Amino acid sequence: MYDHFATPEPDEAMKLALRRIEEARARGEGSNLDGIEFNEVVVNMGPQHPSTHGVLRLVVTLDGELVKDVIPVIGYLHRCKEKLAEKRTYYQYIPIVDRTEYLASINCEWAYVMAVEKLAGIEVPRRAEFIRVILGELMRIASHQVAVGTFTADLSPLGTAMAFYTFRDREKILDLMEEVTGARMMFNYFRFGGVRYDLPPGWVEKCRDLMKQMPKLIDEYESLVDDNAIFLQRTVGKGVITPQDVVDYGITGPNARASGVPLDLRRTRPYSVYPELDFEICVGEHGDVFDRYKVRMNEMRQSVRIIEQCLDMLPRGPVQNSSLRAPYVIAPPPGACYVGQENPRGEYGIYLESDGSRYPYRLKYRDPCFCNLQIFPKLLRGNKIADAVAISGSIDLVLGGIDR
Amino acid sequence: MDLVIDILRALLFVVIAYAVVFVAALVNIVFERRFLAFMQDRLGPNRTGPQGLLQSVADAFKMMGKEDFRPSLADPVLFTLAPVMVMIGAVAIQVVLPYTGGLVARDLDVGLIYIVAITGFTTLAILTGGWASHNKYSLVGALRAAGQMISYEVPMILALLAVAAVAGSLSLGDLVALQDGYRWLVLYAPFTFLIFYIASIAELNRGPFDLPESESELVAGYGSEYSGMRFGMFFLNEYAGMTIMSMVVATLFFGGWHGPGEDALVFWGVHWVGLLWFVLKAYVLVFALVWVRLSLPRLQVDQLMAFAWKVLIPLGLVNLLATAAVMLWVPRWRLGLAVFSWLALLAFVGLFDPLLKRRLRRQRERLPVVNA
Repeated sequence: MYDHFATPEPDEAMKLALRRIEEARARGEGSNLDGIEFNEVVVNMGPQHPSTHGVLRLVVTLDGELVKDVIPVIGYLHRCKEKLAEKRTYYQYIPIVDRTEYLASINCEWAYVMAVEKLAGIEVPRRAEFIRVILGELMRIASHQVAVGTFTADLSPLGTAMAFYTFRDREKILDLMEEVTGARMMFNYFRFGGVRYDLPPGWVEKCRDLMKQMPKLIDEYESLVDDNAIFLQRTVGKGVITPQDVVDYGITGPNARASGVPLDLRRTRPYSVYPELDFEICVGEHGDVFDRYKVRMNEMRQSVRIIEQCLDMLPRGPVQNSSLRAPYVIAPPPGACYVGQENPRGEYGIYLESDGSRYPYRLKYRDPCFCNLQIFPKLLRGNKIADAVAISGSIDLVLGGIDR
Repeated sequence: MDLVIDILRALLFVVIAYAVVFVAALVNIVFERRFLAFMQDRLGPNRTGPQGLLQSVADAFKMMGKEDFRPSLADPVLFTLAPVMVMIGAVAIQVVLPYTGGLVARDLDVGLIYIVAITGFTTLAILTGGWASHNKYSLVGALRAAGQMISYEVPMILALLAVAAVAGSLSLGDLVALQDGYRWLVLYAPFTFLIFYIASIAELNRGPFDLPESESELVAGYGSEYSGMRFGMFFLNEYAGMTIMSMVVATLFFGGWHGPGEDALVFWGVHWVGLLWFVLKAYVLVFALVWVRLSLPRLQVDQLMAFAWKVLIPLGLVNLLATAAVMLWVPRWRLGLAVFSWLALLAFVGLFDPLLKRRLRRQRERLPVVNA
């Protein structure tokens, strides 16, 4: 036992970490700090830790301030979401999808609804598609605001006031969402073949006003940290993900784009009305922490562009396929489908299998955060512990999606 | 009879020192929270008392009411001792502080050395508490505190030596007397002030040097296992330290208690208007501390050490040599010192940040472009 702090009975992850220390010593790859005994400690970060964003647990082997090894432990937020699908009708399951990736719940709903529509062959009216895109992109901005805000808070909660500014403006977006859907986080708004209600009167103007302010607000966030030498010191060249890593680990979303991989399902596997819209895929150059932050900032600007176009192009007409009405009892023909959708964190996929009954036979999530988490051990190893926190913040995980 | 008066006097100053610590802590907590809130576009505590002024009083009572908890594996003696010890620095440093003319406990001949010696006490308490907690986060935080103190004590002493070279004395009374008539040291030795101020922020463990309790990495650093009033003592010390250190800086560089109308109200041999000026100067500096904390993200351990050893200490040495040379050979030493110090300050402020950023930009450009 190298660690005199270890609890009497370490659990499996702790045991694994301790065993790895033993193995490294046997190979002669012990601590860099020679001559000091007991110098590698296994620290348990989480599930209750201020900067693991939820209930992620990292079992970290520290050599002084250096991270030697990381073992992510997940499952503290497991709610049997995949099994729950098998016991509910297709319609009853919509609110549960909301609660997977709760920071971008409307995008999750969208993926599920798209999967069911694909399976059952349901047409969606054009106006509903536009409303879906507008809300999805609003949610993308709100989600990136949280991501960037909490990431800067990981560097230092008070040192960069950005978290407070981003959360202030996120409220404005949530207010807009509330006006349409009646909820602020768990919307339950999309329906098979459309959306639940039409936009309330005057909403389009309000949204347009906010979108006019938004670029200025994003500039304001950037002005808080972009020119700060300490911020640059903490982010530039840290935690580089190479394009090969992106392919190897299945990383998607802003994390992949920051590494220079122009993978954006809105373009590469287009759905809804995205082919008609004009926007750019934001790509980083070096794949470091700074690029991941910058890509999110630029994506917010692109989302504003998309929303403005959608508001201009918004057609009149029904928002719900008239052949479907509550309680939306549907029984898709036997078969299976996979729908991937560009969630703020990456490819949020839903695999849905039907046996012809009113209940899904099998539902499987492909969660972006789960795939992005896999690179943690590789990415954090060899960094200082403070950097490890900043890097994990820049990956932007949501545990609701990982644990389901 | 003299002995009785001396004892009474000593008791009076002990009471004053503790009162300053507690009042300063309670005031500073609200002060900082409200100002942070203002700068971060939110409200801050505004419910308890008028404008939330009683918030820290309420917090103090809450802490006193909490369970006196000690983790079972913690070292019982040291764990209890650390929160008691942590106050020593903030209280004892006030022995040499001239609050105002006629109100100083003991103007020691070695005042500057005494200040340096006493500020180390806080770190000792942090180290003790962090070690005794039997928690890895606490230990890492405590070791960071120790490393930081050792590194930043050096530029602090170098700056103080430059001050001593100017004053020709180590006594704070002499130093304040030297600055009478608005010849504040900061006006002709601003570079020394900058070095001392940066080092003193690091001594206080405040942002951007708040590594010992970096809440996003180490939960609460050295204080992770402390709760209730034990935690309260660490907390009180941290916030009282803001005022105490600002008072030291005000004494050393901002003319102490000197100010307009300082002789207007003198009774019992005490310049009362001077006291007002002293507190006012201290609080302007406290405000600066709050502002700095808000504006800068936390440094990382290696960057912190590099800043101390590669930037502050060489600059401190250069500054000390230049100050000594001016004092020795330049007849109009105030002018000579002012020219050097202001130039050095402008050069440092004008060059350090752009050079650092240019280096980072270069480093960024040198990174392999991974764009596929």
